Amino acid sequence: MIEVVNFVINSLIFPGLLFASVVGLLYVGIDRKVTGHMQHRIGPPIWQEYLDMGKLLSKEDITPGAAQSLVFNTVPLIALGAIVAVMLFLPITSAQPALTSVADLIVIIYLLNIPAICVMLGGYSSGSPFGASGAARYVVQLFSYEFVFILAIIAVVARVESLSLGTVVGYQAQQGWLVLDWRLLPAVIAAIIGAQGKLLRVPFDIPEAESEIVHGALTEYSGPKLAIWRLAYDIETLVVAGLLAALFFGGPTAYVIGGTQIPGVVDFLIKTLVIVLFTTTLRNIMARLRIDQALKFYWSFAALLAIISLVLVLVVP
Amino acid sequence: MTFVVPIGPQHPALKEPEFFRFEVRGEEIVDVDIHLGYAHRGIEEAFSRRNYKHNIYLSERICGICNVVHSTTYCQAVEQLAGIKPPERAKYVRAIIMELERIHSHLLWLGIAAHQIGFNTLFMLAWRDREYVMDLREMISGGRVHSATNTIGGVRRDLKTEHIPTFLRGLEKLEQSTNYYIKLFESDRTILARCANLGVLSKEDAIKFCAVGPTARASGLKTDIRRDDPYGAYDALSFNVATEREGDVWAKGMVRLREILESIRIVRQAIKEMPGGPIRTRVDLQIPPNETVERTEAPRGELLYYIRSNGTEIPERVRVRTPTYGNFASMKSMFVGGTVAEIPIVIWSIDPCFGCNDRVTLVDSRTGKTRVVSFDELRRRRK
Repeated sequence: MIEVVNFVINSLIFPGLLFASVVGLLYVGIDRKVTGHMQHRIGPPIWQEYLDMGKLLSKEDITPGAAQSLVFNTVPLIALGAIVAVMLFLPITSAQPALTSVADLIVIIYLLNIPAICVMLGGYSSGSPFGASGAARYVVQLFSYEFVFILAIIAVVARVESLSLGTVVGYQAQQGWLVLDWRLLPAVIAAIIGAQGKLLRVPFDIPEAESEIVHGALTEYSGPKLAIWRLAYDIETLVVAGLLAALFFGGPTAYVIGGTQIPGVVDFLIKTLVIVLFTTTLRNIMARLRIDQALKFYWSFAALLAIISLVLVLVVP
Repeated sequence: MTFVVPIGPQHPALKEPEFFRFEVRGEEIVDVDIHLGYAHRGIEEAFSRRNYKHNIYLSERICGICNVVHSTTYCQAVEQLAGIKPPERAKYVRAIIMELERIHSHLLWLGIAAHQIGFNTLFMLAWRDREYVMDLREMISGGRVHSATNTIGGVRRDLKTEHIPTFLRGLEKLEQSTNYYIKLFESDRTILARCANLGVLSKEDAIKFCAVGPTARASGLKTDIRRDDPYGAYDALSFNVATEREGDVWAKGMVRLREILESIRIVRQAIKEMPGGPIRTRVDLQIPPNETVERTEAPRGELLYYIRSNGTEIPERVRVRTPTYGNFASMKSMFVGGTVAEIPIVIWSIDPCFGCNDRVTLVDSRTGKTRVVSFDELRRRRK
């Protein structure tokens, strides 16, 4: 009985839906504010995402005639569910996540791909050429960044010799952050490039390039369904940053400063915020690439970095 | 299998309504069909119903961005019809405002071009710098965008001596940031990836399709009405005609950025060499039957006005040929063979101003033939 209650609390309140939404929306709000300042304008207040969410949720739920289908209506919920589930596998308060399994890294990689697939399905089922075009681009982009992202994770796995994220964090608590290991440095860069593509940030915001294909796969979505997409996207920002923090930057660590106990979740929030702000900086200093250029970039430069790292880990003792 | 991607009449990539029908195979463009006429406002007809004075303000409203060059061309044409010459000082004031307008138009182009390639930071910075120009324009004419300075026989407002130091400071700032953008355009990898070798217009095609303005100059065609057929104060001012050889989007941007520097030079020169004297002469607007053609170099290229007078205060006919209209013919050769991702930036590379285009044209994509349909023919078709 206790287990069931625990699971419900974990998935709905902490670290699940409620916590993830509050932090995810806040992070994207901060991202927008910082972007505004970098672009020499005032920018929206940092709670703008909450306001946007409230407004979208209060709007009428419209499904375009051409898009009337079960797929179009359910994929936003599936995407949100999958991304919230990843939160349960991430180490947030301590090295131990809310849910553990022997090989939770594989589960995380799998769950992180579900929103991407949902976006594609939503785009193809929307009955709009922009949706189809955005979905087609998303497929290409998925095959570009995912390979790099997985290779970078495999480099870490080979180094730590465990597929469990908890073990990776525990290992770093004893041996120091993996980002400080020179053999893994190329993998860190590759993983950040991969994350940039995963989060659809410039220069890899190709599937939703507004000046080319309106809003890509999500063009036909509006009102509450769009709000769910936005929520899923914002939580994904937090999740990917959390995954990177756990893989390379030591994960959540509890500190004692001047006799006060600082819980691990504070460390988690600081690290993820720094990673999000780093991707914000990247997205503000570049132009968008074309889809073929992005594919080439991932499969040549970024993949090379990840492979070098993997080989170094395997060869150099 | 090809399918059709409609761009417009309403589309985020277009700032004004116009319809582009792209036939694409996967991401590759195999054909393009351009439908003009969505912004038809009947301005030419309106011209022949108002008197010469009222028409100045109408001509300014053909295009919001290049309003001064429209009213200048109109006023010069009417002055030619009436056989009078504006005072020297008025010519210099006109040149200064026109060059400020060119800077403002090119910075606006840069901002939107940056937005089209997803570089929003550059977009915001370029438009921040555009504010400096608008402030200068406000100082000299009282309006940030619509100056309403021109009048037949001269200008209505003068450049005051106490404004000159502020003016030069503003130009200094603009020069600095333009130099920075030029450096950025030459070195930024993502800009090069999105702009180089895209939407190429070869020199032969530029000549064949009669491209005008920066579009032609980016293809290596050294054409500039200010130099080829000097009007106003331009024969007394020295400047270079910026050209590039590549003919791609990058070259079109580069030409515009270098033109900003040239415009700053021209404005400085004009302020220094400005003669004194009156700024307008009186004109009798009962113009005897006559006709004239006047050409100027608008920010987007050659602008042409044809006016016929009939002895009254109202012109018989005014015909306007805007630079965007001159550049549409060359668009197809820029697109075919490219990809969908290039569409927005290539459309924008000619700096289109659809508001200026005010006639109905049909383009047959199979034969490439362009036909202008008269109003009567349209009415017949509707029946």
